Amino acid sequence: MERNETIAKYERGTHFLGRLVSLLTLAMLVGAPFLIGTWLGAMPDLGAVGRGFLAVGLVWTVSSVVEFLVYTPMLGSGGSYLAFITGNLINMKIPCAVNARDLAGVKAGTKENEIVSTLSIAVSSLVTIVILAVGVLLLQPLQPLLQSPALQPAFDNVVPALFGAMAYKYYRKDLKLAVWPLLMMSVLFILVPTLQSQTSILIIPAGALAILLAWLKYRKDRTKA
Amino acid sequence: MSVINQLSSPAMYLICGGIVAFVAVVCVIFAVRAWKAGKAIGMDPAVLKRVVTSSASFSVLPAIGILLGVIALSGALGIPWPWLRLSVIGALHYETQVAQGAAEQVGIHLSGSEMTASAFVTIALLMSLCIMWGMVLNLFLNKKYTNRLSRPKAGTEGGGFGDLAMTAMFIGLVSAYLGSYLGQWISGNGRFSFSGDALPLLTAIAAAAMMALLTGIARKGKLHWLEDFSLALSMLFGMACAVLIRLWM
Repeated sequence: MERNETIAKYERGTHFLGRLVSLLTLAMLVGAPFLIGTWLGAMPDLGAVGRGFLAVGLVWTVSSVVEFLVYTPMLGSGGSYLAFITGNLINMKIPCAVNARDLAGVKAGTKENEIVSTLSIAVSSLVTIVILAVGVLLLQPLQPLLQSPALQPAFDNVVPALFGAMAYKYYRKDLKLAVWPLLMMSVLFILVPTLQSQTSILIIPAGALAILLAWLKYRKDRTKA
Repeated sequence: MSVINQLSSPAMYLICGGIVAFVAVVCVIFAVRAWKAGKAIGMDPAVLKRVVTSSASFSVLPAIGILLGVIALSGALGIPWPWLRLSVIGALHYETQVAQGAAEQVGIHLSGSEMTASAFVTIALLMSLCIMWGMVLNLFLNKKYTNRLSRPKAGTEGGGFGDLAMTAMFIGLVSAYLGSYLGQWISGNGRFSFSGDALPLLTAIAAAAMMALLTGIARKGKLHWLEDFSLALSMLFGMACAVLIRLWM
């Protein structure tokens, strides 16, 4: 009973805090250009903003809806509020939370997972904030090193290195589940190379296929049991 | 003072730094709450500590990659605004694309020499508006959506099919990226030309090989601490291989 009460209280607080800070962050992010404009003596051209939104914003709006629907179940409520405030979901927050979940040995959908993913994303965001702040402070001395042509391949390939390492970890969990999505995606990208710029959208059919295969396996195992 | 100099002035640092500081405080509050709640429901503090250590070590390399995004955008937008965008809400792959698209709409190229005050505030507003929808959806739907997801179903404890589905979704995510690296190499310069950029694929393979090695060592030697750092070390190895391969190629 005490555990349930603690969890209920934690969840209520998470939603209250999450909504409050989301609202405040939104207000600050949208308000900042106007505040800066007042200081610079120029206001945003709202016509250009509207045209720009139709040209580049709609794709990202659709992408945001998909990200919300797909990643919120992975992260739980607290992790989700925090991840969408701090950004860099695919290249950082999602793998970080999933890795933490594995290390902690908790399962998706449990309260333990909710707590682990919130803690993981909060720590990851703080590390990012600190590194960026230090990096900005030391930008002059660091710039030659970070932008040296010799190191460019390393920084251009952070995401491939991340997904390579994660692939080993996850494929070995269930190789059969991995084969078809990998095959389908490989064939698709080989036959239609222009799709490479749409990888973040193609996560959906790849994930849907993997979930379908997982469901069939789950049903088969339950029937056997 | 030119516009690009104004964009890196103390006033800009104050405005952007204030928002970054606010989000940092939010992260601390969420972390402390999660830690306390974890302990209150009986989670082992050692496990929570491992979560903190592994998340911190994992985040260092991607954060340096993100810092490069700040540098890349600072030439056109000054330092504080890209710093804010990539510390809060932004995404590395998104910011440059939207900033360029926004610059086109105001009729300039994304460069410091062409930047005007009006162009900057228009670009800044568009960057904020384009990526805020995840946060808006969370504001209105997170509670309803997560409550619906956590509603217990007959015959399933937490971690039934839901856990398998999340693993499957992540396998799908990883497969989409690995498939794109393979496609980039095989058809990047024309279908089946095998002359595209193989570096992302080779980097991924190198990181996976190191992950396999470290996982094996950690399991055999029962070295839990190595498991905590294996992802970060594998990424570092993959990135180092990318440098060596590029030199060789």
